[in-house]
Amino acid sequence: MKKLIIFITLILTVFTFNIKAETLRILAEAGDEATLTIAAAQFEESNPGVTIEASYLGWDDFMATIKLKLADNNPPDLAHGNQGFTVDGTLIQNGLVIPLDEYADQYGWKNLFAEGSLAEFSWSDDGSTWGSGSLYGISPVVEDVIVYYNKDKLKSLGLSVPSNFAEFENALSVSNNAGELPIILGAADGWPIIHVWGLIEGAFVEPEQVRSWIFNAKGTEFKTSSRMKAAKKLEEMATAGYFGSDSLGIGYDDANAMFINGDGVFNLTGTWMTAQLNEGMGDNVGAFAMPRNSGGVAGGGSFALPWHISSKSSNPDLAAKFLAHLMSNDFVDDLMEIGRVPAQAPTINPTSKLQAEVISASNTLVGANAKTFYTDWSTPGMYDTVTQELQKLIGGAASADNFMDAMAAESIK
Amino acid sequence: MGSMNKFINNRPHKKIDYSNYYFILPAFLFYIIFVLYPLADTFYTSFTQWSGIGEKKWVGLENYYNNLNDVKIISSIKHSFILIIFYSFFPIIIGLAIAGIMVRVKVKGIAFYRAILFLPQILSMIVVGIAWRWIYAPKGPLNTGLDFLGLDNWSRAWLGSFDFALPFVGLIGTWVMFGFAMILFIAGVQKIPTELYDAAKVDGAGPFAEFFNVTLPALKGEIIVALVFTVTLALRNFDLIYITTGGGPGTSTMIPSMFIYKKAFQMNQVGSASSLGIMLTLLIFTLISLILITLREKK
Repeated sequence: MKKLIIFITLILTVFTFNIKAETLRILAEAGDEATLTIAAAQFEESNPGVTIEASYLGWDDFMATIKLKLADNNPPDLAHGNQGFTVDGTLIQNGLVIPLDEYADQYGWKNLFAEGSLAEFSWSDDGSTWGSGSLYGISPVVEDVIVYYNKDKLKSLGLSVPSNFAEFENALSVSNNAGELPIILGAADGWPIIHVWGLIEGAFVEPEQVRSWIFNAKGTEFKTSSRMKAAKKLEEMATAGYFGSDSLGIGYDDANAMFINGDGVFNLTGTWMTAQLNEGMGDNVGAFAMPRNSGGVAGGGSFALPWHISSKSSNPDLAAKFLAHLMSNDFVDDLMEIGRVPAQAPTINPTSKLQAEVISASNTLVGANAKTFYTDWSTPGMYDTVTQELQKLIGGAASADNFMDAMAAESIK
Repeated sequence: MGSMNKFINNRPHKKIDYSNYYFILPAFLFYIIFVLYPLADTFYTSFTQWSGIGEKKWVGLENYYNNLNDVKIISSIKHSFILIIFYSFFPIIIGLAIAGIMVRVKVKGIAFYRAILFLPQILSMIVVGIAWRWIYAPKGPLNTGLDFLGLDNWSRAWLGSFDFALPFVGLIGTWVMFGFAMILFIAGVQKIPTELYDAAKVDGAGPFAEFFNVTLPALKGEIIVALVFTVTLALRNFDLIYITTGGGPGTSTMIPSMFIYKKAFQMNQVGSASSLGIMLTLLIFTLISLILITLREKK
C-alpha cells in the first residue's frame, strides 16, 4: 500500500511537473553572460515553472557557428545574431528567424526609441534589403565606440578634453612630442583598427552617409571626397607615429592592459570596455565622444548584438516574453549595475565617474543621430578586406589611395 | 607477379574467403563516414555556390576559375612554399646535423637532451603559438634580449612586421619540427652497421666524408618519411598561423588554409572554400608524389 501511494505521488508529480515546466534555450555571445545570468534568475522567479538554459560562445566561435546552430533541427529558442548580411541577412534569407513586429507592438518596443533608430534590425522579408522593413531583432544595450583617455596624462600635458577634431589632433601631436604614446592600438587583431577608422571616418563623413553606405554598399559610392580626406588623415596619423611603432604586434587585450598600466594617452574603443577600464584605472580614466571636423560628434557603434527568435522555436511567445523582460524599464538599472550602457535612460545614478562620462558620450551620439555602425557590416567579405587593408595602411604598406581602391572594390563585390 | 601466379595456381579451385574482410569492416565504416564521405561531399560542394545553409547552387568550375584568378590566393600559395623551407628543409638539415654529430661524439645524458629537443613536437600547436607570440611581442624576451645586447634598433614587433612576420612564423615551425626529424634520423643512424664507419675510417675519411658517404645514403628512407610528413604539414598548417598572426599583418602571412576557414565561416562562401580545399589537397598530393617518385629506392 505504501509503495502504491509513493508510486501514485511520483506519477502525479511527474505529470504536474510536465505540464508546468517550460524550458527556454538561449545561445548568447559570451559578453552577455553577466547580463543573462541576472535576467534569467529574475525571469525564473517571476515565471514559476520556467527554466532558462543559456549557453555562451566566445566571439570567434560564435561567429563561426551561429548560422549552423540556428539551421539545426533543434535550435535555441533565442539567439544572438550580428547586424549585416553575413549573419542576420543569411538567417532571414533562409527563414531561420521570425519577424518581431507583433511582439514589438505588444510590448511597445518601437515607442522606446526615436524613429529610424531600429533600422539596423530592419530587413525586407526575403532578407535582400537592409535598413527598412520588418523588425527582426532587438537589443536593450548600446555599444558605442568613443574615446577613452588617461586623465593624469592629459592634465600633465597641459591639455583639456578636445571639443573639435583639430583640438584632438593637436592633443595627439603634443603627446607625441612629449614622448607619450598618443593612441594605444591593438592592431595585431585587425578588428580594433575598424573602430579607429570608424571614428576618423565619422569625423569627416556625415554619419547619415556612412550608414547609407553600410546598408547598401553596392549601390552607394564609397570613394567620396570626404571619405578620401578621412583615409588621408588616418594615413597621416600613422605616419606621424601616433599609434606607436609596434601596434601591429600588439593584440587588443594586451593593448587595453597596457592602457590600464599607463601606456597611451587615448584609447579609441567601445563602451563594452567601460567596466574593465574603470576597475583598472578608477578615476584616472575619462571618456568623450569623438568631435567631428565640422562640429558635433560622431562615433562608431550601434545597438549590441541583436536577439533573434528561432523560426523553429516551440514557444516563441515565451522567448518574446523574456525579451520583453530584457527590454523592460525595470531591467535598465540592472544593466547599469553590470556596467553596460542601456539603450533606454536609466533611473539610478551611474556606478562610477567613468560610467557617467560614457553615458553622457553615448547620449550625445544618440542626440546627434551620429552613430556610424561598423564598416565590416557592409558586405560578407568586408571584415577580411577592411582589417587587412587597415593593417597595411597603419603599417605603411599601403597608401590612403590603395586603401580607398581596395575598399571600393570590395563594396561592389 | 611471378610469386602471385604461383600463389593462385597452388589453390586453383578455392574461393576467396571474404570472412576476413568483416574484421576490417568497423574501421572501414569509420573511414567511409569520416574521410571518404566528407571528401566526396566537399568535392561536390566545390562546384556549387553555398552559404553554409540552404540550397546549393551548381556553378560548375566557376569557384576554381575564381581561385586561380585571385591574386591573394596565389600569393598565399607562395607563402606556403616559403613555409616549406622553414617547416621541412631547415628541420631536416638540423636533424641530420645532430644525427651526424651523435655518430662521432659521445654525449653524457644523451637521452635527456633528446627528450628536451623532441619536446616541441608533442606540445599542442596552440600552446606553441601562444608561447612564441609572447616571445616575439614588442616587449617580449626576444626584443628584451636584443636591447640587452645593445641591438636596440634591431628590436621590433616581429609578428607585426610586413617583412619579418612570415619567416618568423616559419622559424616556429622549424623549432616544432626539427625534434621529429632528429629522432627519426638518430633511430636510422643506429641501424647503420658500425663496420661501415670502421671501413670509412680505414680509408681515411674525415667527419664530413663519413657523413656524406655513409650516414646520408643510409638515411634516405628516413629523409623521405621526414620530407613527406613535414611538407604536408607546411601546406596544410592552420593553427599556428591562426594563433600567431591570423594571416596578418595585411595578407603577409596568409596561407590557403586560412582562406578556407575565412571563406567557409566568415564570408558565407562554403562552395568556394571547398574548391580551395580540393585544390590544396591536389597540391599536397602532387608534391608528395613528386618527392616519392624522385627519391624512392631504385632496385
